[in-house]
Formats: sequence, C-alpha cells, structure tokens
Amino acid sequence: MKTAFDQPQRQSSTGILVLFFDTAYDYLRALLPVFVLWVFKFNELNKIYFVLGVIAFLALFGMIAYLKYRNFTFYLDADKDEFIINEGIWNKTRTTIQLSKIQQVNITQSLIQRAIGVYALVVDTAASNDKEGKIKAISHELALQLKSKLLDNEKAVKSNILDDNAKEIPLQENHPFIKISFLSLIKMGMTSNYVKSFSLLLLFFFTILDYAEKIMGDNFWDDKNLPNFEASEFVIQSIFIVILFLFGVVILINLVRIVIKYFEYKITRQQGSLLLSFGLLDRKSTIIKPEKVQITSISQNFFQKKMDVLQLKIKQATQNEKEEQKAAIEIPGCNRKEKDAILNLLFQKIPQKGIMLKPNFRKLVFAVFLTIILPLIGFYVVKNFNPTLGKEYHYGVLIYVIFVGVVQYFKFKNNRLFIHDDFIIKQSGAWDVSNEIIEPSKIQAITTSQLFWHKNLNIGSITLHTAGGSIAFQLGNFNMIKQYTNLWLYELEQSDSNWM
Amino acid sequence: MENFTNETIDTTQLPKFEEVVFSKLQPAYWKIILIQIAILFVLISIGYGVITTNAEELAPFQLQIGLCILGFLGLVLLFSRIGYNKKGFAFRQHDVLFRYGVIATNTLIIPYNRIQHVALHEGILSRFFGLAKIEIFTAGGHASDIEIPGIEKQQAENIKQLLMGKIQKEL
Repeated sequence: MKTAFDQPQRQSSTGILVLFFDTAYDYLRALLPVFVLWVFKFNELNKIYFVLGVIAFLALFGMIAYLKYRNFTFYLDADKDEFIINEGIWNKTRTTIQLSKIQQVNITQSLIQRAIGVYALVVDTAASNDKEGKIKAISHELALQLKSKLLDNEKAVKSNILDDNAKEIPLQENHPFIKISFLSLIKMGMTSNYVKSFSLLLLFFFTILDYAEKIMGDNFWDDKNLPNFEASEFVIQSIFIVILFLFGVVILINLVRIVIKYFEYKITRQQGSLLLSFGLLDRKSTIIKPEKVQITSISQNFFQKKMDVLQLKIKQATQNEKEEQKAAIEIPGCNRKEKDAILNLLFQKIPQKGIMLKPNFRKLVFAVFLTIILPLIGFYVVKNFNPTLGKEYHYGVLIYVIFVGVVQYFKFKNNRLFIHDDFIIKQSGAWDVSNEIIEPSKIQAITTSQLFWHKNLNIGSITLHTAGGSIAFQLGNFNMIKQYTNLWLYELEQSDSNWM
Repeated sequence: MENFTNETIDTTQLPKFEEVVFSKLQPAYWKIILIQIAILFVLISIGYGVITTNAEELAPFQLQIGLCILGFLGLVLLFSRIGYNKKGFAFRQHDVLFRYGVIATNTLIIPYNRIQHVALHEGILSRFFGLAKIEIFTAGGHASDIEIPGIEKQQAENIKQLLMGKIQKEL
C-alpha cells in the first residue's frame, strides 16, 4: 500500500491511548503538589468522593486525548514542498515545515508506544528548536514511508552537493553502533551525584540537631541530660539508621531518575554526525555534529572506574545563552570502549594527554582560606555576639573542616592541564574527576591573568574561551602559559581553521 | 614527546604577546569616571542624609557611618585610578589585545579571524567629551568580548573600519 500523504490524515486510532497517557502525565505533573496533599490527608477523605474524583479525572483525560486525536492532522503539500501539521483543541496551531529545511527525520518508540505498537516521528529542522514537528502515534509502515517522502525531497535539493554514497544512507534503517545497557544505567545511577546527596544529608543532619535542641531546650547537650548510657546509645543508633535510610532514598531517587531519563540510550551514526535517542516515557533525540562540538568532558569517580562506566558530556556551539542548557548533551554509562569509539568519531583520533601543568600550592592555600578559614572566622564572630549557640556546634565545625579539607586537597591534587599538539585537556574535580577536552582550533579568545604579587613567583592563570564555554586553569607556571598562548595564537592566526 | 624539543625552539621565536606595548586610554576618560563616581556618592549622601534625619536610633552613629562612606569613597577612587591606569589596548597584525584589571593584570586576546562583529558605543558623558567605546564580539560568550572605552571618536571610527576590513579579508 502506497500512501501519497497529500490529503490531511489523522494518526493511528490506537494513538488515542498514547495521547491519553501523555495528557495524564502532563496534568499529573502539573498537579503533583495537590496530589501529595491528598496522600497526606488520605484518611480524612471520603473514599467515595475520592474514587469518583479519580474516575472524573480519567474521563477528562480521555476526552482531551480524543479531541487531541480528532484535531491532529498532517499532510504533504506537494506543490509548495511543505509538510504541514495541524493541531490544537481550542488554540489551533499550524506548523509548516519546508521540506528543504528538514535535516533529520527520526522514528522512535517509548515504552507506552511500544506497548501499543505505534511509533513517533520527529522532524528536525536546521533553524530553532521550537519549530519542529512531532507525530506521536503512527504505524511503522506509514512512518517509514513518510520518512522517505520527507527526505526524498531533501535529496532532490541537495543532490548536487552530496556525493553518491551519502545518498543511500537516509533510506536505510540505521543500526545503532552503541547501545547503553540497562546494567550500565543502574551502575551509573548508583554511583553518581554523591556530592549532591551528601550535602543534602549534611543539611538534614543539622536541621535535625536544631530541631532536637528546640524540643529539649538549651540543656540538650549538657552532660547531666545524658546520664543514661543506654538511652544515648539508642539516640546514636537511631541517627545512624536514619542517615543510612536517607542515603538509600537519595540513591534510589537518583537511580530511578537516571533510568527514566536515559532508558535505552542509542547512538547511531548518520552521515558523519551522531544521532542520539533516549528516554523511557518521553523519547528524546538529538544530533551531534562533530564540527560543532566545542568541549567534550569525560567524568568518572572511583566506583565508576571500578565498574568501568563513565559519563560523557558534549557541549556544542551555541547561538545564544538560552540554548546553552540544551546544548550540553550527556551520554551516561559508556564503558571505555564505547567512549573511545565516540571520541574517535568526534576527533578522528583518541585524545592524548601531552605535557602536564600543575597548579602552584598557593591554589590549595587560597581554596582553604576561602572555604574553611573565612567561614570559620564568620562563624566565631557570629557566635561571639550570640552566646546561646550550644557547644554541639563544635562537632559540626569539626565535620565541616575535615570534609571540606579533604575535598579541597583532592581538588588540588586532580587539577591539571595537559597540553598536546592537537588537544588541550583540563582535569579537575575532587570525587568526580572530569577531563575537559578541547581542540586548540576551537579557541575563540584567550585571557591570561596574573596577580601583581605573583609576578616574581612566575605563576598565573589562563582562560580559553570557546563557543561552548570556557576552560580555566589557575596558578600554573606563567612562562609556560605565555609560551603556549603565543603558540596557540600563532596556530589560530596562521590558518582559517573551521571552529563550527 | 619526541618532537617536543623541536617545538620549544619554535615557540621562543614566536611573536610574544607579553612584550607588546599597549596604548593608554584618553585622559578625558578619567574625568568621565570621576563624574560617574561623584554622581554615585551624591546619591549615597542624599540617602544617608534622609536616613539619619529620620531614624533616631542611628543618630549616635552618625559620625561613624559618615567616615565609613568617606573611606568607601577613597577606596573606590583608588581602585578606579588603578583600573584606569592598567587599561590598555593594542592592535597587532593578526589580533587585538586588551589589558585590564585592578589587583590582577588580565590580558584578553582575540585573533581577527574569530571576531563576529564590532560595535561603536557612545554614552551621554562620552559624547560630551568626544569619546567612544569599541565593542568587539566573538562567539565565545560575554567573557571573551572586548570593550575598550575612552577612545577618541575619530580614532574609534578608524579602528572600527580597520577591524571591519580585517574581518572581511578573513572571510
């Protein structure tokens, strides 16, 4: 069966279900606070009203989904070479995409779509992000036909530029060359975001201390109040259990978040660029064009190293600040082989670490001053004016000093700049050690900086600005920095290398 | 690593950005800074006067607060002067250099083939003194843009023409 797509047509009728779940998901997310409140008041609620309410909501979602389905049509205007999508219940939207502007047509499938047996078709254009078309439910056969129709036209326009072997590629269903396994995602979920979790925990700990003090009065920490050894042991034990429990909860939430966000991460090669698609409920797809890549960052912590997973983050050139968040693309849970394959595609070779620059020990001193000594001074000044603060805060101060001290030490130890002919790599981080890779040809501007009392010590800083963000290295050997600045400038000015 | 020695010879013979002689800003620009500071402190003094006449609790600290404001004024003047003295610019054959900073000396260098566009900006005060500001934008975001203030209008116009010519040639 050949379909011409020249008449406006609806999505697959089973697609109503997809629309239903989509609508329900959107509304539930918006109404989440209300639902949380309901859950807490569950016992006070009239059960009959509750059930009726749920049924009413489901009916409403069904209605909306049906109307969305009825009002969604798409067709190809052969005369004007345009692909047109009409949608909207009250506010009608008409999206017109010129076929010559279409860069990419992706066919994806989320979990719900898989259960129902339909596919989503997403049309990517070169221009902005919002002007793209998405059909949420379409049969596989139709999707393939539509895709070839949409791309067929592009070839007619571009065929003069593209060589023959590039022509055939869009019609094939590409096989992903990297697939992030479920196991890797689980490993990633269990090992990432520890710092965030830990700071949350610290916050929670201090809030509890504060709370306990308020309940028990000022003499909570007086020794007199803790004569019963068993009781105090019980308190310590329960605090310990609470902390463990919290840690578990944080890890679990993180795990669920990562699995939902990056479920079935697939990377496909397409005409020299990388096509990524991922997501459990809402499948997203993005393209990475190697020539647009500015900063590639690889991060890994101790546990992840043991389990051979790492996280890649790729920053592409951006037009404006708003796009910046979207432009950073994350690939979680690659192993070393997959990382090398991706890097090979991006750079045509594996980045090497060249000469190493170390920061001066003053960097550590300054960091300790900023994050430990200053806060401590502030704390004791406040304490002086406010003698009611109990001595339990000494424990807090001790924990803080040890924790921050260790973090700063490892940050200093890991802070390195590697300079190779073709790559500049900045290594940083205390627990999650990240390597940011840029190519010298992507540099837009260079800032060197030196404090006046560092002149005789011959140390200084450098910032390399690229179209995807900056890389800064502080308090390194300034002679080396100046020498390489001159070299990079020379290379940039020698040739009109393409940075985008 | 093998060809590193080869490179060191190269790099020492490269033109050195650190040996470039920088042009200073016009002295009239210092007057503009002084006027701006004066306006700021007139406003602060008015606010201070209004508060101390209305809030009785502050009356005993009147002198201290006044001294604080004076000290602040002194610091602002000092830092502005250092900042003014340090600002400088240079145009080489292939790139533009801008030096700035107060306690640090920062040098920002943009090769001409990375410039996106050039703009000329005149404030009210600047126009009164016949000065202009040149703004040079790259694709590297706000941190890598150069703003050279306190250049004579005609000279700024010339610089802009020069840069435009360079950009066009690079394209």
